Amino acid sequence: MLLEVKNLNAGYGFLQILRDVSLTVDTGEYVCLVGPNGAGKSTTLKTIAGLVSPMSGEILFNGEPIGSLPGNKVARKGISFVSEEMNLFVNMTVQENLAMGAYTLKDKKLQKDRLDFVYDLFPRLVERRNQLAGTMSGGERKMLAIGRGLMPNPKLLLVDEPSFGLAPLLTENVFQSLDTLVSQGVTIMVVEQNVTKTLAVTDRGYVLENGRIGLSGKSSDLACDAHVRKVFLGV
Amino acid sequence: MAEQVKKRIWERLFKWCKSLAGLTVIATVVIALLATIDRGGYVLVNTIITGGMTALVAMGLALTLGVLNIPMFAHGEYFMIGTLTAYYVFTPISTYVNTHPESALVFWGPLITVVAAMIVGALAGVISEVLVFSQLRKRSRENWVMNSFLLTVGLSVVLINAHQLFFGADFKGITRYWAGMPITVMDVYISRDRAMAFVLAAVVVAAFWFFMTYTRTGRAIRAVAQDETGALIVGIGLNGILLLTMSLSCALAAIAGAGLLFMYPSYPSVGLEPLYMAWFVVILAGLGNVLGAVMGAFMVALLKVLTIEYIGSGWDFVVPSALIIVILIFKPSGIFGSEVRGVLDK
Repeated sequence: MLLEVKNLNAGYGFLQILRDVSLTVDTGEYVCLVGPNGAGKSTTLKTIAGLVSPMSGEILFNGEPIGSLPGNKVARKGISFVSEEMNLFVNMTVQENLAMGAYTLKDKKLQKDRLDFVYDLFPRLVERRNQLAGTMSGGERKMLAIGRGLMPNPKLLLVDEPSFGLAPLLTENVFQSLDTLVSQGVTIMVVEQNVTKTLAVTDRGYVLENGRIGLSGKSSDLACDAHVRKVFLGV
Repeated sequence: MAEQVKKRIWERLFKWCKSLAGLTVIATVVIALLATIDRGGYVLVNTIITGGMTALVAMGLALTLGVLNIPMFAHGEYFMIGTLTAYYVFTPISTYVNTHPESALVFWGPLITVVAAMIVGALAGVISEVLVFSQLRKRSRENWVMNSFLLTVGLSVVLINAHQLFFGADFKGITRYWAGMPITVMDVYISRDRAMAFVLAAVVVAAFWFFMTYTRTGRAIRAVAQDETGALIVGIGLNGILLLTMSLSCALAAIAGAGLLFMYPSYPSVGLEPLYMAWFVVILAGLGNVLGAVMGAFMVALLKVLTIEYIGSGWDFVVPSALIIVILIFKPSGIFGSEVRGVLDK
C-alpha cells in the first residue's frame, strides 16, 4: 500500500474537522475524495501533505509514519501537493517556478528531464516560460501548479480542486492531463466538488461527509449509488 | 528571430519607462544631472557614496520584511555592532601598521576588519533569531507583525544599553582606513575611505543580487518571501531559510557599519540615523522589495544631498519624512511596489 491513513483526526486549533478518517491509495491508482462544501476534503489533503498536524491517528507512506513530519519533509518523501490556491511564486517566471518545484532534486540531468516532461505535458507553459506566474490566467496557473508538483517525480500527487475557478473547457483540459499522467503510471489522489465529472474519470472514490468517510468503493458504483445521487447529483 | 527579440526588449523598456517606477528613476537621474550642472560634481559623488551605503542597510531591512515579515526597528543596532567590531579589530591593526608601514596589513587590514564585522553581524543575527524571533514564532501566529515589531523595539533598547554598559557611551572612532592622497573625480576630491566605501557597497550589492537571483538558496529565500506554503510544498525547510535570512540581513548592516566607521564613530545609538534612512528607502521602494531598495537608496541619498545643498543641513531629515508621508497617502505600496499580484493572493 502506498498511502495508508488510519483513524485520522485533525483540524485547526480547537476546531476538529476530520473524525476517524481512514483511507488507502495503492500504487498506480487514480483515487478521488468527493463531498459537499466544508466536509473536510481539503483538510484531509493538507494533513497528508504535512501542512496541518493531525490530532491523532496514523498516516503511513510506504509503511513509514509521516503524520508528525512538517510539509517540507513530507515533500522530500515523494508526496507532491497541488493546493487549491496553487501557492505559486507569483513574482517568478514560469521556468523559475518549475525550477523551484525541483528544489529537492540534486541531479541536474534529472531536473532537465523532468522539465522536458512537464513542458511536453503542458505545451502552453513553453510559450509562457519567461512570463511571471502572477500575470497568467487561471487555467495556465493551474497547469503550472500541477507542473511544479510533477517536477520532483513524485510517488503520489495530491490535487486539490483541479476545476476550482476554471471555465468548463479548461476544466476538461486539466482533467485530460491528469488522465494522461495516470496512464503514464503516476499515482493521483484528487479532491473535487464536481462529483459527476470526477466519478466518471477516477478508479475509486471516497465520499466525505461532515468529516467522516460515508461511502467508499469503485467510482462507477458510487456514481450509481442512490445516496450519492440524491445528495450530490440532485436526481 | 533576433529582430523579434530586439523589438520585445524595446517594447518592455518602453513600457517600463511609462510605469511609475520608470518615471521616478528617470526623474531622479535628470534631477541629479541638473543639480550637478548647477552646483558641481560633488553633488553627484556625494549622492552615489551615501546611496551605496544606505543600500546595504536598506536591503537587509527589506529582506527581513519580505521574508520574515518582521518590521525591524533594531536593524540600526546591527549597524552599531558592525562599527563596534570594526573599531576593536582595526585599532590594534592601525597601531601595528603605524610602526610597521611596509607590512601587508596596510592593504589587508581594512578588508579583514570588514570581514570580521560581517561575521560578528551574521552571528548576532543568528543569536537574535534563535533566542528571540523563533521563540515568538513558536508561541504566536496571530498578530505576528505587531508582536514582532514590539519585540524589535525592545531588542533595540537592550542592545543600545548593553553597548553603553559594557563599552561606555564615548565615541570610539578611527581617523581613516586608507592612508594616502584623496582621489580626484570630476574636480572633486574624494577621500580614499569614501571611495573604498562605495566600492565595498557596490561589490556587496552585486554579490548579493547574484546570490538572490542565481543560486538555489537565494531562490529558496525569494520563494519563502513570495509564498510560505508554496515553499513548504516544494520541500524548502522554513526554519533554515529564516535563520539564514536573518543572519544575511544583519551581516549586511554590520558591513555597512564597518565600512562607514571613519564617518560614524561607534557609540550606543549610532544606528538610529542609518535605521531611519533605511526605513525611508524601504517605504519609498515598497515593503520587502529588495532590488527596489537599492534604487530607492540612491533616491533618498539624492534627496538628502539636495536638501542640504539648497535648503540647509538641518532639513535633511524633514524633507524625506515629508515625502514619505506623501507616498504613504497616495501610493501606500511604494514606488516599486509590485503590481503583479495573483488573483487569489491576499
